Amino acid sequence: MTPTFNHSMDMLIRKLDSIAQLSDEERRAIASLPVTGRLLGPDQDIVHEHDHPSQCCLLLDGWACRYQILSEGKRQIFSFHIPGDIPDLQSLHLKVMDHNVCTLTQATVAFIPHEAMLELTAAFPAIAATLWRDTLVDGAIFRQWMVGMGRRTACQAVAHLFCEMYVKLEAVGLARDHAYYLPLTQSELGDALGLSNVHVNRVLRELRTNEWITLHGGKLEIKKWRELTNLCGFDPTYLHLERHAA
Amino acid sequence: MSLHLQSVRVKTGSHDTEGLLIFADDLLVAVLVRLSDDHEEDAGKWFLEAGFDGADDPVQPKFVDLDEAQAWIYRRLGGH
Repeated sequence: MTPTFNHSMDMLIRKLDSIAQLSDEERRAIASLPVTGRLLGPDQDIVHEHDHPSQCCLLLDGWACRYQILSEGKRQIFSFHIPGDIPDLQSLHLKVMDHNVCTLTQATVAFIPHEAMLELTAAFPAIAATLWRDTLVDGAIFRQWMVGMGRRTACQAVAHLFCEMYVKLEAVGLARDHAYYLPLTQSELGDALGLSNVHVNRVLRELRTNEWITLHGGKLEIKKWRELTNLCGFDPTYLHLERHAA
Repeated sequence: MSLHLQSVRVKTGSHDTEGLLIFADDLLVAVLVRLSDDHEEDAGKWFLEAGFDGADDPVQPKFVDLDEAQAWIYRRLGGH
């Protein structure tokens, strides 16, 4: 399937717009990037550890994650990605991948050649600065995940992730009214938060029993946003969005 | 080293209350909890709720039966 993907660069523009202001000329330059679109199945690797990529992968639809497989087959998920994200943007400047990126759901992606990205960022320093800003926000999210794994209870860690994904999705227009499609299994949540799926299961039951959330058919609705954010100390400052969800 | 089991009820904040204390000689080394029907395909398995001195893991494992659980604990404690 090779549809025209250039209009889909809107997703990247929307993402970058959520963390910075782009001029019309910069938007046009991003929209004219040469891309190769692909439709991928769920759980499909996009790029592997130790690869030397020559392109970046922009997620247009679906979810993806960064991960590493440890000894005994254990998996650590480092981050979840949603449309508008470029999970392997670092490959533009770090030549060897130090982790894997895979889809979690069926996904539509657009591969952007490194050469085109380098030309774009050379011609438009403000776009380079925005992408740099995006990687800094990425680092801020990692810091919060460290707090989650090191210092939050299982319930707080799950709650924090639910709040974080809502604010990120809302910023690119993919969630509203404190509800969104959450296509993650309990194992995937556990692999991301350093929790057994037994604990994830118990936490989800507790949150549902207390009627703080509902979770049906992959649709998560946060019924008590304020209580949930208080429980886990969620403060969206670290996402550095132009507009905050409330 | 020999392992001894003692029934116990555990407050896990869930329906998983049926538990076992595992002693190596006379020292407590692990607490296992039987997973309730809440856990669907994992119901009936034994979950390492807590473990000590090597009989632990950052992400606690599940065991299909007590033989598997005891073998894992024994190995982790250096009993081979």
